[in-house]
Amino acid sequence: MPQVKIIAKNFMDMVAALPALKLDMLYDNGFICEAVLRSLPPLAKKYVLQMLYIDNSIPAKSMEEWVLAEGLSKHKNAIDRLTQLRVFLETVDRKKETSYILNPKFQSNLRKYLMYGGVSPREPMPSSVTVRLPSLEDLEAYALEQWESFLLQLISPSQADKPTNFSSSVMKVFQRGLLSQRDKEAPRLTEKGFQFLLMDTNAQLWYIIREYISNSEDRGVDSADLISFLLELSFHVAGEAYNLNTLTEVQRNTFKDLADLGLVKLQQGRKESWFIPTKLATNLSVSLSDSSSRKQGFVVVETNFRTYAYSSSKLHCEILRLFSRVEYQLPNLIVGAITKESLYSAFQNGISSEQIISFLQQNAHPRVAERTPSVPENVTDQIRLWETDLNRVEMTPAHLYDEFPSKDVFEAACDYARDNGGLLWDDSKRMRLVVKAEIHMQMREYLRRQKQ
Amino acid sequence: MASIPSKLYSDDVSLLMLLLDTNPFLWTGANTTTTSLPFPGFLTHVLSFLNSILLLNQLNQVVVIATGVNSCDYIYDSSSSLQKTADSSENGRMPILCSRLLSKLEEFVIEDERLSKDDSPEGIVSSLLSGSLSLALCYIQRVFRSGPLHPQPRILCLQGSPDGPEQYVAIMNAIFSAQRSMVPIDSCVIGAQHSAFLQQASYITGGVYLKPQLPDGLFQYLSTVFATDLLSRNFLRLPKPVGVDFRASCFCHKKTIDMGYICSVCLSIFCKHHKKCSTCGSVFGQALGDTSSTDRKRKTPET
Repeated sequence: MPQVKIIAKNFMDMVAALPALKLDMLYDNGFICEAVLRSLPPLAKKYVLQMLYIDNSIPAKSMEEWVLAEGLSKHKNAIDRLTQLRVFLETVDRKKETSYILNPKFQSNLRKYLMYGGVSPREPMPSSVTVRLPSLEDLEAYALEQWESFLLQLISPSQADKPTNFSSSVMKVFQRGLLSQRDKEAPRLTEKGFQFLLMDTNAQLWYIIREYISNSEDRGVDSADLISFLLELSFHVAGEAYNLNTLTEVQRNTFKDLADLGLVKLQQGRKESWFIPTKLATNLSVSLSDSSSRKQGFVVVETNFRTYAYSSSKLHCEILRLFSRVEYQLPNLIVGAITKESLYSAFQNGISSEQIISFLQQNAHPRVAERTPSVPENVTDQIRLWETDLNRVEMTPAHLYDEFPSKDVFEAACDYARDNGGLLWDDSKRMRLVVKAEIHMQMREYLRRQKQ
Repeated sequence: MASIPSKLYSDDVSLLMLLLDTNPFLWTGANTTTTSLPFPGFLTHVLSFLNSILLLNQLNQVVVIATGVNSCDYIYDSSSSLQKTADSSENGRMPILCSRLLSKLEEFVIEDERLSKDDSPEGIVSSLLSGSLSLALCYIQRVFRSGPLHPQPRILCLQGSPDGPEQYVAIMNAIFSAQRSMVPIDSCVIGAQHSAFLQQASYITGGVYLKPQLPDGLFQYLSTVFATDLLSRNFLRLPKPVGVDFRASCFCHKKTIDMGYICSVCLSIFCKHHKKCSTCGSVFGQALGDTSSTDRKRKTPET
């Protein structure tokens, strides 16, 4: 699912887009270094490790010798990423030779990691203070419930059971781009909104967090601080309790929002209060490179186009309704059918067949997920066919040329257009031709030269 | 059509099975060449290497198996140590990974020594590589069967002691089962001489065989070559095998031989003529070769 990847990566783009000074400041924190390293493509990670104990800079030329010819594009990609994130610092010497050196802060932090291993950013609170902690299952259920009620409020505010802590202005920021509202009408999901709903939880989470961070300056919170805080959060152990007093005032305010998203659970003891990170929070940095969530699927699709979704969630029902006709709903089961009409309305809303298919595949019930293909082939083929039905007419911006002075000029023009890959149609009898808009300027130039 | 559900783990999540040679004869006695590094130094390199593997990806997993002279055992598993962090973090200063691994290693070495027989060994005794390879493969099989989501496994042998020809059959069996389950065996030889077993193991399973020139820089070798995940190996230039010693050991006296006799039924190898195959029981014909041996040799040396 390309969409997911783009969004997950975008977060690191956001980090990369920070000014150099701020970025270097972020690398003071060992956890950021760790998270950034883990978000890199495999080859780039490898390079960092290789360079970790090399203090001299390495010429770009000799680096290229590390890879085979097939891997050169991957190599370039890795180096680009590393320089963007200022993990590698580029230097150009007098002979115009580029060489790279590992960012010293980054280097020293990672060396520390190698010596001491992974540590938790905070000591968990002793179990004598926190008497009853929720079990991991309870915590996960809590996280999912919070997240779903947030999503439901996001897409259809009227249906939400309980209001969240977010102010309506923050909520508006999240909805920007996902919902469109014409005056006095109920808000409608946009194309992007639909795509958002079909993404997996981690990708959705990153999208929301990205919006949250980009909005942070308006709330008077430094975005670099917020990024480092969120990345640090992901290194806590899920299910352990951590004291809230170790946080700054700003961070504590942020936590209220994070609790609404289901990232942390806040609890109040007799004297102290603490937070318990959930799986959603600890998966944050994992999902930067690995966009898939590892939750169980729930949908069974049969060859007769019927779908059985073993779920009681309202959100799942809403999502299924996007592209199928929901027929009836039992306490733990939603039965629907994929029909031509239901798909047409989905396509009209900007959902592509690939998205629907990959949603069905990613959320396949464990019983059918073992089989290949997990969604029957006749169904996937039919979904694709119905989509191509709609795309019989293809539009290409073009220009029409006519009134050529002679046959020769016309044919030369045809050949020229064909050679440039821009000829769409020609009629030799009436001496007319149509070329793509891209080569219009070239074509005009060419004809002018012919005239002289 | 690529099936999406099977791609739930990204390509570079790896499970590293590290086989650690703890042969005391290697680390104390005969190993007195100036270039080689002592055991504590060796361990520091290895521990940093383990940390670096864990650093690369949150889902990476390392398992360390100690290869002794008389026994072998799991001494560290990063997946099981996660839950028990609370109780071991009390002693404070030492990182959890190190303290757990070192204490288990000590237990193991003492136990291994206790098992040794009293008769004094001649020269360097080989360590039980076949046993630890089998342990590693068992662990990997368990991971394979745990469900569709598993990291990509590979085995790394840090071997110093010489090959034990008596383990030939067991090791070859382990190699072929690794090959069948597509598990590469990397080998890093830290001893004085090359290991024919490991050369074959890496050659057959598509792993990397390397004998570091400068053992002092072991970590750099480990991080440059052996930290590479299976996906990136397709793009990187890694050390290529220079030459592989394909010699086999005979089944009767466990000697490494250049030429020998092979049972035509079960392919068992013998260094001299027998009346009957000791493995499958087939009766051999008269040994014509005994009298006119030059043109009767069953296995010709590779020249």
